[in-house]
Amino acid sequence: MARNPLKDQLAVVGIGSTPYGRDLQRSHLSLGLEAAIAAIRDAGIDKNEIDGICGSGMTPLAQGGSGFLSLQGALGIDEITWGKNSWLGSCFVYAAEAVFSGLSDMCLVVQTYVRDPGMSRSAYADPFRRNLTKFGDIGGDIGGSDFAKRWVHSGEPYAGWMRRYMHDYGVNKDAFAYLAVNSRSHAAHNPAAVMQQPITLDDYHASRQIWEPMQMLDMDVPVDCAEAFVITTAERARDMTDKPVLIHAMSLGGTRVGEFYENSLPWDQNAFWVTLKGLWARSELKLEDIDLFFPYDGYTIDGVGVTEAAGYCKPGECGDFFKDNWDEARQVLRLNGKTEVMTHGGGLGMGRAGGANYFSEAVRQMRGQEGARQIAEVPEAALIAIGSFFHDPCAVVLRT
Amino acid sequence: MRNYGPLDDFTLIELYPDVQVNRDNVEYYRGLAERKLLINHCADCGTWIYPHRPICPECWSWNVKAEEVSGLGSVFMWTTLMQQRSPSAPHEPVPVAAVDFAEQKGLRYLSRIVNCRPEDITHDMPVRLTWIEIGNLEWPAFEPIPGGAN
Repeated sequence: MARNPLKDQLAVVGIGSTPYGRDLQRSHLSLGLEAAIAAIRDAGIDKNEIDGICGSGMTPLAQGGSGFLSLQGALGIDEITWGKNSWLGSCFVYAAEAVFSGLSDMCLVVQTYVRDPGMSRSAYADPFRRNLTKFGDIGGDIGGSDFAKRWVHSGEPYAGWMRRYMHDYGVNKDAFAYLAVNSRSHAAHNPAAVMQQPITLDDYHASRQIWEPMQMLDMDVPVDCAEAFVITTAERARDMTDKPVLIHAMSLGGTRVGEFYENSLPWDQNAFWVTLKGLWARSELKLEDIDLFFPYDGYTIDGVGVTEAAGYCKPGECGDFFKDNWDEARQVLRLNGKTEVMTHGGGLGMGRAGGANYFSEAVRQMRGQEGARQIAEVPEAALIAIGSFFHDPCAVVLRT
Repeated sequence: MRNYGPLDDFTLIELYPDVQVNRDNVEYYRGLAERKLLINHCADCGTWIYPHRPICPECWSWNVKAEEVSGLGSVFMWTTLMQQRSPSAPHEPVPVAAVDFAEQKGLRYLSRIVNCRPEDITHDMPVRLTWIEIGNLEWPAFEPIPGGAN
């Protein structure tokens, strides 16, 4: 076991989400502010109780986004003692670290995502979206004329990995297909989801090839949206609510691959394996205790990696595992007879939020607040694992 | 066959206006301008280092030199791009592959596969370096080795 001094010492006390849409015609900041205000109101606190902010993105001074400087100014929060920007899985962990370290007592996380102009023809036609990319800052000249730099922070290696995975383990696309159908079946019951129509396994296989063998239905759905959370100490949370959602254990992860992703390590050594190993070395709750599972679904191959790295099955066996744990009537996954997967539809069905909507779904389900979509037996433990094979992965166990 | 010869830093940076040429990768781009593919090599322990970094990750030597590679390798993984990042740009499907260099296991370089139908590419297929002209520059690409065994 590794040290886990933060065990059950932190809690999520506020959740806020914007509507999700393909074209909301709003800025990152506008979306982020709506989610932030909703999360602060959900927590039932005054805005000036916020003393830490984790904004969106990777650069502290980026303009036109929802970084912590813009958020603090726009929200009129007088003083903070901690601020940072991040995305994907690491944002949640950074904010929790800040509260555990004492640099913040009440930390706001805001994550905004919009449909990038490179994601569709209609998005490219929008001059505001093109400007956002032109003036955004993701660190250099990726996608420039040197083709050899194309996989510096690219999704394309995931397509290469789909084929390599099938080749190395002698399997077909079943694992990817089950995840895609599962998310769309759940999304059809989530009024906030952009994809309201369920799909079949045949629909999955018939979808357009984008980066062959990766197909359209392997990719999360680009949308305009924002999610926000408020994290505080468990002690403070108990003054605010009878049954706070606690952070039981968490881990980040990284490997020596670096930023050129063609240097990938073998499948079962990517950053998800490091991260999940780090989590289980710290968590007293084990896989069999988990009621809700959120494996990152930026691409279906991410979710397959997380499922295997979490220990549900051996590397290469995810397709068989999903087939054995498929609820035919509901067209969803139900793992080992108890664990529901991506109950809001995830990135593949609700919309791409870099996994931020997994936290809001998990917290609402664990509070018993999902109304018609509420799981009858209110879940008590959730496993969320978000990120990339190469950067910013996190794994978190939440409990009540 | 464009070979700009050994270029000074100012001319080299002007030749690659949309690439961040810096002090760690400058010899790689100076090599490309001469139609040579150079990869950093540790003069102390012999490890090949890619991307262009100033130290050897194995022995931490700073005695790292950009050296020409054989251009021989095999396909580790690949995808065929059916749509570009800028969807308004018309284009043909582009096979893009991580090529494992013969010099060292796991030493990989991302490149186009040319002179081969995308459906004929296989894992571990032997390939060799060739060059393709785009605008005023030549860039590395890889093609199957005729008669090369899988």
